[in-house]
Amino acid sequence: MKITLKKRLTVAAAAMAMTMAGSVGLASADDDVLVIGAPLALTGGLADEGKKQQDVWKLWLDKINAAGGIDVAGKKMQVKFVEYDYQTDGKRAGQLAEKLINDDGVDVIMAPFGSGHTKIIAAVAERYQVPMLACVASSVSVYDQGFKYLFGTLAPNTGMTESMVEFFKEKKPDLKKVAVYGRDDVFPKAMATALSKSAETGGLDVVYNELYAVGTMDHSAAISAIKSADPDWVYMTGYTQDLILGRKQLADMGVTAPIVTMVTGPAYREYTEGLGDLADGVTSSTWWHHSTAYTDAVGPWSTTADFYADFTAAYKSDPDYVSASCAAAADVLVNAVQVAGSKDKQAVRDALAATDILTFYGPIDFGENGMNQGREMPIIQVQGEEIKVLYPASIANAEMKMIK
Amino acid sequence: MDIIQILLNGIVLGSLYACIAIGFSLVWGVLNIINMLHGSFIILGGYLAFFAWQYSGVNPVFLLPIIAALLFGLGYLLQYFFINKVVMSPVLTTLTLTFGLDMILYNLMTVFFTATPRRVTLDLGTINLGDMYLPVDRLMGMGLALFLTALLFLVMRASKIGRAIVAVRMDRQAATLMGIRVNNVYAITFGIGAFMAGAAGVIFSMVFPITTNLTGTFLGKAFVICVIGGLGSVPGALIGGIALGLIESFAGYTIGPQNATTVGFVLMLFLLIVRPTGLVGVKGYE
Repeated sequence: MKITLKKRLTVAAAAMAMTMAGSVGLASADDDVLVIGAPLALTGGLADEGKKQQDVWKLWLDKINAAGGIDVAGKKMQVKFVEYDYQTDGKRAGQLAEKLINDDGVDVIMAPFGSGHTKIIAAVAERYQVPMLACVASSVSVYDQGFKYLFGTLAPNTGMTESMVEFFKEKKPDLKKVAVYGRDDVFPKAMATALSKSAETGGLDVVYNELYAVGTMDHSAAISAIKSADPDWVYMTGYTQDLILGRKQLADMGVTAPIVTMVTGPAYREYTEGLGDLADGVTSSTWWHHSTAYTDAVGPWSTTADFYADFTAAYKSDPDYVSASCAAAADVLVNAVQVAGSKDKQAVRDALAATDILTFYGPIDFGENGMNQGREMPIIQVQGEEIKVLYPASIANAEMKMIK
Repeated sequence: MDIIQILLNGIVLGSLYACIAIGFSLVWGVLNIINMLHGSFIILGGYLAFFAWQYSGVNPVFLLPIIAALLFGLGYLLQYFFINKVVMSPVLTTLTLTFGLDMILYNLMTVFFTATPRRVTLDLGTINLGDMYLPVDRLMGMGLALFLTALLFLVMRASKIGRAIVAVRMDRQAATLMGIRVNNVYAITFGIGAFMAGAAGVIFSMVFPITTNLTGTFLGKAFVICVIGGLGSVPGALIGGIALGLIESFAGYTIGPQNATTVGFVLMLFLLIVRPTGLVGVKGYE
């Protein structure tokens, strides 16, 4: 028994020594390679969103590689992504983040889609003091935990609702009653709650305010209740499949509100494709739209138009805010490494905190809690086959239409 | 008036739920296999309907027999070559096998079709009766669900293969001695389960957005409906489906949509305790 134990200990010690030697070797050999870790939801409920992140980072990396890498302190540094599929399972996401940090020795982590999973991984990154960029998490609850290594390129989602209430009141002065219906999940719930608060503050009457459970297959009961309340404005939040079904059922059940807002439905092409004519007139708020026109930006795309052209050429579809925000997050990271002059985690973290740059996606200036403060978020509307920008006036390209 | 609308909503939704559960109930009741593939079969039927419609422009209703037959073939082959090898093992073994097969099918669908929600955008409108609204596609789905249930009921009662399935369920050994090819009957039964799932998928492609994200939701509904309605009886799935549709509809309206699905699960737990055979299930099948 003793021998067996001794043998086991010897083997374990040898394995540990080899592992340590390996990681030391890895660290020293890879000084000129910036390794970015990305746990992605490539299968499961968020597979579509995970794929968008993977695609845009591939496009971004191809662009960086074509330029021979990035210039850091007078030398070329290569960039590499290490990705794992966490199967839309939050627990697995956390485990894979640890693996990325401990086994793959990544220098920085890119968070996956959604506030919920970002929150889980942010805790891991903070524990190991690895800088993390979140490109698709906008709930303030993710950022108000006092984390020092977490930075997000989306602006707080609460800011969207106040400007929307004011804008709709201006466009429809007799706007009085609003029905709010949201998915009981981190981001959709935060948006629904923020909108009902903003509506009340703005003097509107919230005539229906309910959440629906994740896994709800049908909305007819809720929509019957909404119909009874006879709102002027229906505001629904959820994932694309919820919103396609919700819009169809609103029409099926004869709800004729002149304003229907779905967050973030129309921001995605699959929403309008899944609805056909029924999508016409639906409004939404989003963090970015490709009709914005920023120029003189840092990163591989110096204008929004350049990014749009490359993206549509590669993927034959329009980029949405997920793609843009995630590509911009990679630009921000490169900028921070260049400012820091190395990939030292603490130095990169400090450079990220001091970031104040313009990317093709828009200005990025992280506030105290790590969220991007420099964003003015558009209100969009489906008009015919196209997505039009209604607000802000600086980038608006259409007048708002009421649904008949 | 609201009450009548809620009642109608519940019955129509319940019929669609019945579509989900019929094949699942048959396979569970006859083969004693908890078919974890069932949700993916439904989604596969939906995807085939969507792509066939997109490619040919033919209304999915006319494609239903072809797609359901394809699913039958897939189900038959899976049972014949894989599941039959372990069909006599404890239920956990077959459950694990179908779980593994489901992971393969689910991931293949995600790779080939992506998880993007897709819907056959044939908006057929709504029948308007005063203050009440009945969407035509849902009514059509309900009609098809009732038709398929009746058809399966007749097949089980009156056809040779139906009697063979029932005989194998009652006594496998005696059925073998009577010259019934048991492995073939198992494969046909599993095939019929997949046929019903495929048919449900075709109907759903016109009513719900189809995405692989929904496989688990469909499977969960099938479980609840089978427990409520009872296993081993075709009408059980229909009654269970309608019961669940009505419960969710009234609960969603009165206590809020957030709690509607929970009420269905609570009822399932209650029935498991007080009436394990379900509302109309056959004793010995629970």
